[in-house]
Amino acid sequence: MKKRIAKIKIIFVSILALLLIFVTCFAGLFAHNDPYATNALAIRTAPCLQYPFGTDNLGRCVFARVLYGGRTTIAATFLLVFISFVIGTVVGMIAGYFGGLADRLLMRFADITLAFPQMVVAIAVAGILGTGMTGAMISLGITMWVSFARLSRSHTLSLKNEGYIQTAFFAGKSDLYIIMIHIFPNLLAPVFTNALTQIGTTMIGLSGLSFLGLGVIPPKAEWGSMISEARAYIQIAPWAVFYPALATIVTIIVFNYLGDAVMDYREA
Amino acid sequence: MEHILEGKELNKRFASEKGDTTALTDVSFYLDKGEVLGIVGESGSGKSTLLKVVSGMITPDSGDLFHDGKKYTGQKPRKTGEFLQVIFQDAKSSFDPRMPMERSIAEAGRGRADRALILEHIKKVGLDEELLSRKPSQLSGGQCQRMSIARAFYSGAGILLCDEITSALDVSSQAQVVKVMKNLKNDGKMSALFVSHDIALVSMICNRIMVMKDGRCVEQGEIGKIISDPQHEYTRKLIESARKQEIVNEVY
Repeated sequence: MKKRIAKIKIIFVSILALLLIFVTCFAGLFAHNDPYATNALAIRTAPCLQYPFGTDNLGRCVFARVLYGGRTTIAATFLLVFISFVIGTVVGMIAGYFGGLADRLLMRFADITLAFPQMVVAIAVAGILGTGMTGAMISLGITMWVSFARLSRSHTLSLKNEGYIQTAFFAGKSDLYIIMIHIFPNLLAPVFTNALTQIGTTMIGLSGLSFLGLGVIPPKAEWGSMISEARAYIQIAPWAVFYPALATIVTIIVFNYLGDAVMDYREA
Repeated sequence: MEHILEGKELNKRFASEKGDTTALTDVSFYLDKGEVLGIVGESGSGKSTLLKVVSGMITPDSGDLFHDGKKYTGQKPRKTGEFLQVIFQDAKSSFDPRMPMERSIAEAGRGRADRALILEHIKKVGLDEELLSRKPSQLSGGQCQRMSIARAFYSGAGILLCDEITSALDVSSQAQVVKVMKNLKNDGKMSALFVSHDIALVSMICNRIMVMKDGRCVEQGEIGKIISDPQHEYTRKLIESARKQEIVNEVY
């Protein structure tokens, strides 16, 4: 029964998540205004039929910018989580499987990367690479892979002692075969669940960096930078802050809830 | 005649924070082709450690291991797996939970894919072909254990190392596995080390027996001789306790 409820939850939240992705991927179908077109005659217009979420300081349609900006935010988040997932899982599996010196070196390196405050790293990376989404992603990615590495390492350590891994040794299978055929598929579920729960955090991180001016370069639409730009005139055009903030909150809630639902399903 | 498997003066110590623990002291044994050697003893007597040493999962501190007269001390399971296979106590965990049985068994073939041979071994252990498409969670413990035996035979290894293979099973599954082992023994094609704490079970399956206590072999010989005329006090106690258990089983 518990499993069934958890399954229904996953289906429901997955539909919401897919809907969000669909709306942002096909933003052109829903937003009829150009997100980058300025209109001096419609500066800071309140929400109306032509501009459902109003306009910003340059007369740009906030609705169109929220939809197109979602494309940037969601795509960057997914890409960053995916890259961290791949790097972290590979590092964790190597450390856990081979143990010894490889384990000590890789895990100490992971500890070192965690020792630097994320924002300081972001500023340093922005200083080296210049501002932009790539820099923001690198600065977050420097520490993000560690959680995947730790999780996959601990699962690899426990899987390594399973009878079927020992049996694979007796069958003469290579380390690569054992890692790819036996270990990776059996740790995929917990690591994938972690990836889902990381989506929300990553989105906050990327939007936060954009808010500080370390993310996307204007005029590119992105939720964090939209909030940052509009906060200067929040008292006269609160919609310019409210809608991108709402979009960020809703997206984070949906993906966090999806991660929780998958975790509930696995534990049920 | 050379023994198919032989261990000479095997020693193993484990270091821990509390000090060293001696797991094996000067243990020697041999196994001939078509013979089943039972290794009995209570928990901590070193029988499972001996099996790990023989299989190559653990390297002995001193002593030597021979297969067909050739020394193989220090060889790891990837190499020892060519002539021996281990059947673990927890049969379910010895199969990848995501793989169907057929794939798991085929994996033991070292690149050889012979479905007819898999089916032959499956029938030999009294299982249906239909079970091959199932995953471990869809089989009972006894069925999984018999699958393990079939897999060990399919691997082509001539020696089985059975580590308490009936301990985790219910009574009816135990009976099925024992029946399979007895049939295989009677065929004379199986050479095995059979580790168990149950001397009654060992006497049903094995030709010879080796009694272990505190990492030492206290007695070994023909099963009938040991049961009828035990020389060591510990062996006498084991037999007495097994007889008492038989009486209890008969009463209830």
